[in-house]
Amino acid sequence: MAILEVREVDSGYGEVQILWGASMALQQGDLTSLVGGNGVGKTTLLRTVMGLNHPWKGSIWFEGKDVSRLSAHKKADLGLVLVPEGRQLFTDMTVYENLEMGASNKRARGKFQQNLERVFEMFPRLKERSDQQSGTLSGGEQQMLAVARGIMADPKVLMIDELSLGLAPVLVLQLFESLKLLKNLGLTILLVEQNVQMALAVSNYGYVLAEGRTELEGPARELIQNEHVRAAYLGL
Amino acid sequence: MGSSGLLTSLIDGILIGVVYGLAAMGLTLIWGVMNVINLSHGTIIAFGMFGVYLIFTTLGLNPYLTLVLVAILGLLLGVAIYFIAIQRVIDAPHLSTLLATFAVNMILLGVGTAVFTTNFRNVDYALGNIQMGQITVLGTRLVAALAAVFVAGALYFFLYKTRPGKYIRAVANNRAAAELMGIPSTQILALSFGIGTMLAAIAGGLIATLFPFTILSGGVYELKSFVIGVLGGLGNPIGSLAGGLILGLLESIIPIVMPNTWVPILEFVLFIIILLIRPTGIFGAKE
Repeated sequence: MAILEVREVDSGYGEVQILWGASMALQQGDLTSLVGGNGVGKTTLLRTVMGLNHPWKGSIWFEGKDVSRLSAHKKADLGLVLVPEGRQLFTDMTVYENLEMGASNKRARGKFQQNLERVFEMFPRLKERSDQQSGTLSGGEQQMLAVARGIMADPKVLMIDELSLGLAPVLVLQLFESLKLLKNLGLTILLVEQNVQMALAVSNYGYVLAEGRTELEGPARELIQNEHVRAAYLGL
Repeated sequence: MGSSGLLTSLIDGILIGVVYGLAAMGLTLIWGVMNVINLSHGTIIAFGMFGVYLIFTTLGLNPYLTLVLVAILGLLLGVAIYFIAIQRVIDAPHLSTLLATFAVNMILLGVGTAVFTTNFRNVDYALGNIQMGQITVLGTRLVAALAAVFVAGALYFFLYKTRPGKYIRAVANNRAAAELMGIPSTQILALSFGIGTMLAAIAGGLIATLFPFTILSGGVYELKSFVIGVLGGLGNPIGSLAGGLILGLLESIIPIVMPNTWVPILEFVLFIIILLIRPTGIFGAKE
């Protein structure tokens, strides 16, 4: 059974419909990529899964329960965590406080020390900058902190919107390394990424979103070989 | 006026200024957390005055003890106002929240006027004078200022060292991100509004031990709160204390060189000048 399932979801902003019957299923322990061009609804899909946008139609299932109507903070309590696009750090707060805020839900509070050690091991830079205001970090450090804050929430499913956007190649590599590490720890991950090649290379499974619905899905290594994907998203 | 007279009025200015700062703190906290200008702020200050007055005159409790009760009632009133009048319009343009708090103000002020009339009241309580050399300080003023500093310190501790306080800062900083981390932002906003209201009520209670007042007296302090908010930076509760200090000093110095009636004029000229040259306030944060 899928740990997270999106069934035929319509959603959007105000009068503007972005998602037209989007569907998706995440298997426990998988790293799944969600790819597609600009404006096809990847971010909207993640926001709708989290409850920041409400599904107009269709439903969202998490661990076998219908969570379509739950607010974002309730979903975070359940273990559904989003690292949002543009990082959305608490810029006026220190690195450490951001991590503390990540561990706001009840489950995460109990595992605070354990998760803190894990993220400091993954991103030693954050440990060094622990007392620095997060708004003054470099772009790469901010992205590390955004991911680390997500891990502090002790997620069952971690969704990451644009992991590598605007970062130097060396940092991108480092972040993808930490992603593999998380996957090896057994975490279920959904990755939205404009670097399609890299995303599919580390994933088990992939979805291609176009015009607000799922256009294509399959094991990542098959998608990489797919003619349409190669032409449209990999520039090959 | 001799040098001891000058010193006395400076000290008076500082003591009153700190209480002004506390009065402004609730206004700036609410603005800082949820970008709402609370136009019922002044009336809640007046409610704080009447709270202390009523408990003091009917139960005979020490006015400073009654402050604890007034604080609790202020917190509950604020949370109620948030859920009744603010929550529905929190994401609407500023005009909607402004009108909502204006309406709350008219209701509270109307009820207050109907029940208490606009007659002057006085908390008849004195702590005598404290004599230091040639300088005389009223005991009630000293205690009010110390209480204001204590409350400001407690607020600082709450916001920076406790979990709910940090949640308030997180929601103020980025509400959507706070939700994503599992912070129930609606409850946190209600709590923030409650604390802002509580601070206004405490300030009112302290002012009631200093001067006679009516149900309409809060308006003056609301206006002062705006000046202080701009001096100290709206959204910066600790800056309020410094802003209040400046205002208190101005009010003690200006009457030495010109008639008392010039005080509000100069205060608001200062207000406009700061808005023009440094809209985030002298001690205001960046942005």
